[in-house]
Amino acid sequence: MTVPGEWAVAVRAAYDGPPAVAATVHDDGFGLLAVDVPAERWLDAVRLAHDGLGLVFFDWLSAVDELDGGFRLVCHVAAHAPGAVRHLLLRTLLARERPAVDSVAEVFAGAAWHERETHEMFGVDFLRDGEALDLAPLLLPDSFEGHPLRKDFVLASRVAKPWPGAKEPGESAASSRRRPRAPGVPDPGEWGP
Amino acid sequence: MTGVEVHLGLPTVGPAPDGGARPQSYRVEVGDGYALQVLDLGLACCAVEFVSAVAAFPDVLRPEDDDVHADSARSRVAVMVVSGTVTDKMAPAVRRAYDRLPEPRLVVSFGSCASSGGPYWDSYCVTKGIDQVVPVDLYVPGCPPRPEALVQALRALDGCAPR
Amino acid sequence: MTVSERSALPARSRGVIALVEENCTSCMLCARECPAWCIYIDSHQETVPAGPAGGRDRTRNVLDRFAIDWSLCMYCSICVEVCPFEALSWSPELAPAEPDIRDLLHERDRLGSWAPSVPPPDALDERAPAPKELAAAEKVAARQRRSAQR
Repeated sequence: MTVPGEWAVAVRAAYDGPPAVAATVHDDGFGLLAVDVPAERWLDAVRLAHDGLGLVFFDWLSAVDELDGGFRLVCHVAAHAPGAVRHLLLRTLLARERPAVDSVAEVFAGAAWHERETHEMFGVDFLRDGEALDLAPLLLPDSFEGHPLRKDFVLASRVAKPWPGAKEPGESAASSRRRPRAPGVPDPGEWGP
Repeated sequence: MTGVEVHLGLPTVGPAPDGGARPQSYRVEVGDGYALQVLDLGLACCAVEFVSAVAAFPDVLRPEDDDVHADSARSRVAVMVVSGTVTDKMAPAVRRAYDRLPEPRLVVSFGSCASSGGPYWDSYCVTKGIDQVVPVDLYVPGCPPRPEALVQALRALDGCAPR
Repeated sequence: MTVSERSALPARSRGVIALVEENCTSCMLCARECPAWCIYIDSHQETVPAGPAGGRDRTRNVLDRFAIDWSLCMYCSICVEVCPFEALSWSPELAPAEPDIRDLLHERDRLGSWAPSVPPPDALDERAPAPKELAAAEKVAARQRRSAQR
């Protein structure tokens, strides 16, 4: 899928002009342009999409755990017009140790819920005026510990229950030698805090 | 379609003008002068099958419009059918709903999610079966169970001693 | 509830999975592919000694335990599709509701009891070529007729 030529030109022009957000525009071939910005310019980049490009529809904001790379915060914004939807992915990379970025709720009020969910699922802090917002848990019970969507979060059920497929054909008890692992379950040695 | 202006008004917060919704219960006759008062705690997809059962078997599941205690001539048993996935955040609400059921009462776990967590058994936030929070009298297998399975299960309930 | 009491079911309705034990070779594919981890299989190996005509001993898998937990199953059909020997099939019968969740774990006898209710497969399109099983069976029958005539 190709991005309409006019739209790609408009996006590049907007992000080349002031304010300087040091953005790079990518076309990953999915018909959706992605704009990568440094973390400290995140709020400016989102505001530019809203004010400069007219992308006033906020779709979603979430994060991707890229392991050693850190957390990639991703935001999808769009502008609806009959027959011509223009949309954009805004991305920024956050450090793994203490991921923190400005909150964009002042640009898109609806982003507040998404930031709350991203905060509890990934442990990303959202800042207003340099202070981390105290975001209450949205979906997880109060006593929950940990950030479940991080890739090093252990799914306790899959560890506790022995995989019925671990046995070889012709075996009744899983033998002690190396046996196949369930799909999607990492080796106990490499999974966990 | 040309633009048509629709004025919906903004939502408001406050008590509902008609006093709020009452839970809709369905009466099921199971013989021997015995009736079940079935209430659906519809949480997910299984709730759609419950609604389908109400629509497909109107002679079995009769919507009750009158007050709970209006018919005192027969013995009634309140049945809570939990249809759908119960997350750990929702589990206390399921318990509260059960605590508010008048006795005698029975609980039916409808579908795999309510019985054991089902396809989401390995999730970080799904309760692996409502029997972790409420006593269950009947487990209905299925994902989702057919409406016929609900009717079959409700008929099987008359063998369960209500508590 | 009997089938006649139920409303007309669409073809290939997924009610409960029937096990045809004779076809099962304990290959473990269904247990491995099941996303809910609800199929439990135990098996052991037995040696089939070489026949009087010579050859070598063969080993084969013997099924000890085949169980499906209906309280976990999500009826996705992956096990039925992945079985290379068609040991698992859908039956439109409904597994009954149980007061004890442990009774929703059906062992192989119970799974085998659903087999008679498995409907015959849909007829092929009339313009399709004949199934290979028919051609193979006819070849064997013709060979037997020829050897009987000699």
